[in-house]
Amino acid sequence: MTVKTLSARKNGIARAEAGTEPIPLRYGDDPYVWACWLYYEDHMTQGDIAEIMGISRATVNSYLADARARGIVNISLEPSRLSSLSIAQELKRHFGLHDCLVVPSDDNTRPLIDRLGRAAAQALAKLLKSGDTLAVAWGRTVLAIAEQASVPGLQDVTVVQATGGTAANFAYTPELCASAMAGAISARLVNITAPAVVSTAEVRDMLLREPLIESQFDALAKANKALFGISSLRPNSTIHTSGFFESVSLQQYLARNAVGVVAGRFIDGQGKPVAGPLDDRTIGISLEMLRAIGLRIAVAGGFDKVPAILAALRGGYVNVLITDAATGRGILNADGVTELDQKLSQRPKVDHRAALPSNFRTHIKKFLNDPNDVVEEMLDGVVKAHAAYIRPIKGSHRALVARTGPRPGKVGLVIGGGTGHEPCFLGYVGKGLADAVAVGNIFSSPPPGTIFQCANAASGGQGVLFVYGNYAGDVMNFDMAAEMAAEHDIEVRTVVTTDDIASSPLEDREGRRGVAGNFFMFKVAGAACDRGLSLDACEAATRKANARTFTMGVALEPCSMPQTRRQNFEIGPDDIEIGMGIHGERGVIRDKMMTADEITDRVMDRIFSEMKAAPGDRVAVLVNSFGATPLMELYILFRRVEQRLSAKDIKIEANWVGHYCTSLDMVGASISVLHLDTELTELLHHPCDTAVLRIG
Amino acid sequence: MSDNAARRLSRMFYRISIAIEAGKDHLSDLDGAIGDADHGITMSLGFMAVNAELAKLNLDDTLPSEVFAVAASAFLDAVGASTGPLYATAFRRAAQALKKEECLSPADQAAIVEAMTIGIKERGKGQRGDKTMLDAWVPATEAAVNARARAAGGPEMWNAILEAAEAGANSTRSMVAARGRAARLGERSLGHMDPGAASAVIILRAMKDTFEEGERASPQ
Repeated sequence: MTVKTLSARKNGIARAEAGTEPIPLRYGDDPYVWACWLYYEDHMTQGDIAEIMGISRATVNSYLADARARGIVNISLEPSRLSSLSIAQELKRHFGLHDCLVVPSDDNTRPLIDRLGRAAAQALAKLLKSGDTLAVAWGRTVLAIAEQASVPGLQDVTVVQATGGTAANFAYTPELCASAMAGAISARLVNITAPAVVSTAEVRDMLLREPLIESQFDALAKANKALFGISSLRPNSTIHTSGFFESVSLQQYLARNAVGVVAGRFIDGQGKPVAGPLDDRTIGISLEMLRAIGLRIAVAGGFDKVPAILAALRGGYVNVLITDAATGRGILNADGVTELDQKLSQRPKVDHRAALPSNFRTHIKKFLNDPNDVVEEMLDGVVKAHAAYIRPIKGSHRALVARTGPRPGKVGLVIGGGTGHEPCFLGYVGKGLADAVAVGNIFSSPPPGTIFQCANAASGGQGVLFVYGNYAGDVMNFDMAAEMAAEHDIEVRTVVTTDDIASSPLEDREGRRGVAGNFFMFKVAGAACDRGLSLDACEAATRKANARTFTMGVALEPCSMPQTRRQNFEIGPDDIEIGMGIHGERGVIRDKMMTADEITDRVMDRIFSEMKAAPGDRVAVLVNSFGATPLMELYILFRRVEQRLSAKDIKIEANWVGHYCTSLDMVGASISVLHLDTELTELLHHPCDTAVLRIG
Repeated sequence: MSDNAARRLSRMFYRISIAIEAGKDHLSDLDGAIGDADHGITMSLGFMAVNAELAKLNLDDTLPSEVFAVAASAFLDAVGASTGPLYATAFRRAAQALKKEECLSPADQAAIVEAMTIGIKERGKGQRGDKTMLDAWVPATEAAVNARARAAGGPEMWNAILEAAEAGANSTRSMVAARGRAARLGERSLGHMDPGAASAVIILRAMKDTFEEGERASPQ
């Protein structure tokens, strides 16, 4: 409670004393608190309060207002809603929009397109009026809106298809989008009965002169409102995958710096039209026509669309934007608006500097000699410690081969990656598991030469299987090594692991990174190879294991590189990062610290949302430390994992708890679940003998 | 002519190495914002290895294309990671481009820049706008090709190349990463310059300085 002026206090007491009832003891002599209690806690009306306190209703009203101003009462909005409201306000202000709606970002459990569709559908109910003509473009988002929209009671509304049509076989064609929207709002429908892209400029001109199409364009020109999505030009965007435009033409637009597509027209980063080969062959609304429409509603989200949305905003094609909080924030950041971040982060800000203890330190203590020698010195130790299992190839500690691994008639298994993940990857080399491992620098892929040496050493004439995590560097180096192997007549197949379900949405499964679930993929691949299966069969079994392994990690504290001995990312004193990768890559969401069971539940809920396991099914579980989290805590996590699985009647066939794929000294853990079938169960139990894993 | 050219290229790699070393911490900081903070360390390691290998050559009877070929394998073997294959392929393509003439006229210099960019593009399967080193290399190549088309002199060409590369690197601030580890950061990569684009500018500036020095030294 804040200090009040003496006069206010006196006044309050005087009035209260004059009332029908004295101030109850628990409020002290403070009528403000009393008034607030009656209003906010007892939910009384201001009139009732005035009667009880024996003061006028106006005084009650002013007490309540003062109480807020002085911080006696705090009204708080849920943080994610607050943040989306602030972002919407900032977008509206910064781009001078008519209106802006921002959907709070959640943890991706519902597809973004659905969430945007629902929000836009509700917005349409407010934005559309009887007598409107709405131009509707095409796309996945537009269809999602149409499917969820319902605006009853409108009269004389016309929906006009904004572009020509297409023969392409996807669900969100211009025709279908327009007709779904017309159906949803009971509007008259005007289709453009010409193709969106025709073969030549002459054909287009001829078609546009046809009276029927001319009349359709007349209807389009009458549009006072427009609804459209915004497409990026990134490789996985609808623009590429729909086949709506020929890819050759797309390349030409890309070369001219196009960043996005609005209603079938290409724009650059500043929103200017980009001229290209399709311009004269396109039948549909032009950018000028679009900009002349009064209310231009764009619905788009997803961070990959940020440059395209920003361009559309800069070009003035949008005056009502519907997006999500992460995208909205991205747009503002990309346009140099940083005040928002400060504003949002200021709210709960506490100055921790003042609380720094006198023994605060800036460097992490590590067992080191020369920081530049860590990898070499570690490998020196590894080769000595595990001499029973591995030996260097041609004296190089960067290429290690199993002592009892490779043999004629067996597919060779080569694994590898950067260091810092020990016992990954070198701990999994030995009989029944990997035949050779290529070792890179800290968090860096090994070079192709090293990988090729491994392939050569592992080759027994039946081909070689590469299994490694999905990272751009690893893919390039292993691919180059595979080319070198091919030149030496060694057939190589590759399985890139993608078990980290937090690293990309389900639609982009092949873009996910490979993390601790590698353990299962290596085990299955090693067993398949050891059983003498063909290269095809080894590859297939490993792919199956990858498709059925689900991992998610949570970091509590960052890791530190030996060269810098500094933490390689920042995380607040009370924060945790859910979905953290094994190189300190940011996760899905940063949250406040919670209990071990709550964390496990967050991870398991996500795993269950993807793993289609039925009661009675069997799984293998790996609870893995990121380096600094002790076994004690891992067992606490495992306990909850077991509870969640057994509640679904899913049986744990085998489990491992410990350090299996680390991230230097990061505090955190990951949970991996392999959904078994008969073949995978057999391969999992197949004997192996390596430095860190022995079965049978 | 050819021994002179090999020496100039060797000097070029030496300059690049010094410039990268000087910018090492800055590059690692840029990388720390969106990657794993090792770009400076990796680049410096790679170019030091290139210098060490070039020092073993007898430059008097080495062809310019061989200098690039040696640089390619030295860089790759030392580095791995993602920059290894990208620059190794770049140098390999430059070596192939030089094989036709084995000299270093401004047109050949333009061809080097162009070939390197093609190599990076091929290996990384990337394109402009992905927030990678290509956002510096692609505009640099466009500037080089334009300069060659209008038969511009070396200094004019290199000014245009560097200007384009710098503008390109700056433009990565407002891009969302599409490739590499930063791609998984999504919108959190916004507002930061791509470290690969930043180091590309350093490399191009060192190339410019080397070739301009050659220009001044040889009477025209």
